[in-house]
Amino acid sequence: MPHLKTAYAKYQNDAAVAFVLVSIDDDDKRLHRFLDEMKFPFTVLHANKDEAQQKMGFDDLPATFYVDRDGIVRFEARGMESHGDSPDRVSWFIEQLKQP
Amino acid sequence: MAAALFAQSAARDNLARGRAFWDQRLAQSAIAALEVAARDKDTAAEAHEALGRLYTFKGWQQESVFPGWHDEPAYRARALAELRAAVTADPSRPSGQEALRIAEGFASAEKVDPAPPREDVKALDARIDAYRNAAAPIADIEAAIEARAKAQADPAPYFTGAQILLDRGEHDRAIALAGRGRAASDRFVGENLSAYQMAGKSQGAYSRGRATAADLIGWAAYLKKEYDRAAASLGDAERLSRGQDFANQFHLGELARATNQSDRARQHYLDALALSAGPPPLRQRATDALRAIHAGDRASGSFAAWLETELTRRRDDRRSAALKSVVDRALPPLTLTAVDGRPYDAAGLRGKVLLLNFFASW
Repeated sequence: MPHLKTAYAKYQNDAAVAFVLVSIDDDDKRLHRFLDEMKFPFTVLHANKDEAQQKMGFDDLPATFYVDRDGIVRFEARGMESHGDSPDRVSWFIEQLKQP
Repeated sequence: MAAALFAQSAARDNLARGRAFWDQRLAQSAIAALEVAARDKDTAAEAHEALGRLYTFKGWQQESVFPGWHDEPAYRARALAELRAAVTADPSRPSGQEALRIAEGFASAEKVDPAPPREDVKALDARIDAYRNAAAPIADIEAAIEARAKAQADPAPYFTGAQILLDRGEHDRAIALAGRGRAASDRFVGENLSAYQMAGKSQGAYSRGRATAADLIGWAAYLKKEYDRAAASLGDAERLSRGQDFANQFHLGELARATNQSDRARQHYLDALALSAGPPPLRQRATDALRAIHAGDRASGSFAAWLETELTRRRDDRRSAALKSVVDRALPPLTLTAVDGRPYDAAGLRGKVLLLNFFASW
């Protein structure tokens, strides 16, 4: 997840791109300790674990989805697959969707 | 007087450009130029007719003419309106009347067949194809590719041509052609965006063109023994095709084997064979490579039985993943709250490219 921070640096002033982290923790205290430590510069939200897993169809974490401007999910990177969250990879996915 | 002449030649110019764009099936540029020409009384009749013919094609005749294209019924009324405007502007032109009769016929028909393949384009395609197995100077092959690309703006001639040049050992020329194919594909899809009907479908068309180019470039790099470049480009193609392209998985297998990563090679060959596509000679090569790796593993049991088990498992996994996957679907409505439990309004995210990362602190 530190990779996401690095990748975000490139897009923080880009109004066409948003980074959203969604925690599916059920332990509030633990989550807040984690957030205090990580100091994420982007939006962090919370979703119900079962609902999120069922609706998004993931069974491994982290699960990253890339959604285009029309609200269509275009790519997903599950778990550690293909270095799904290395900064280069993250911007590759975003650049694909920023193209027309 | 001079100004009037200039305006007239500008209108003529737009008319000619609009027709040329549409000959190449570049709809957006064609429409823009023809709409300008339609506003000048000297070219109005011809421009309205050209627009009407273009809209007739879009409305009734383009189903599957290119992969992912559908008829656009929204253009039908516009086709008739343009052709009526053409006849009104100059009632004496037979071609305008004929085009209107055809469109009116379509409007009252039960069913309209898609436009047949164009003979001129077919002949130019055949000329490129003839170079697949025949010795010829590279300049002749490239000239045939250019001629076909000029006739119709879809990326196919670049990709076919790049493959032929690869087979000739012309790796750098193949890379250059694949790059032009990617640019042509992006432009072609963009010029015809509405023909795909849905954002997901046009995105799929962009991805296909980009994946084809990346695979060709990666394979050319592999053949040049530039393995880092090959890995980067073949990996791009894999993500764009979501691992669903036979040739790409085969190429990744060959690259992994050449770089002594037999585990990865095995996965890619198996992924390739689990897809139903792929020409028999390449499937045979993938099978032979797997047999060699399998023998090296000193694994027990027959190769055939092992292969069958692996392929069945992959096909089952793919089926269940496809059922579960949200890729290419609208983001499901999730109940999201701020981390302090307060409601969160996601309206501010609308229209943005969104990275959504699900995580847990455990």
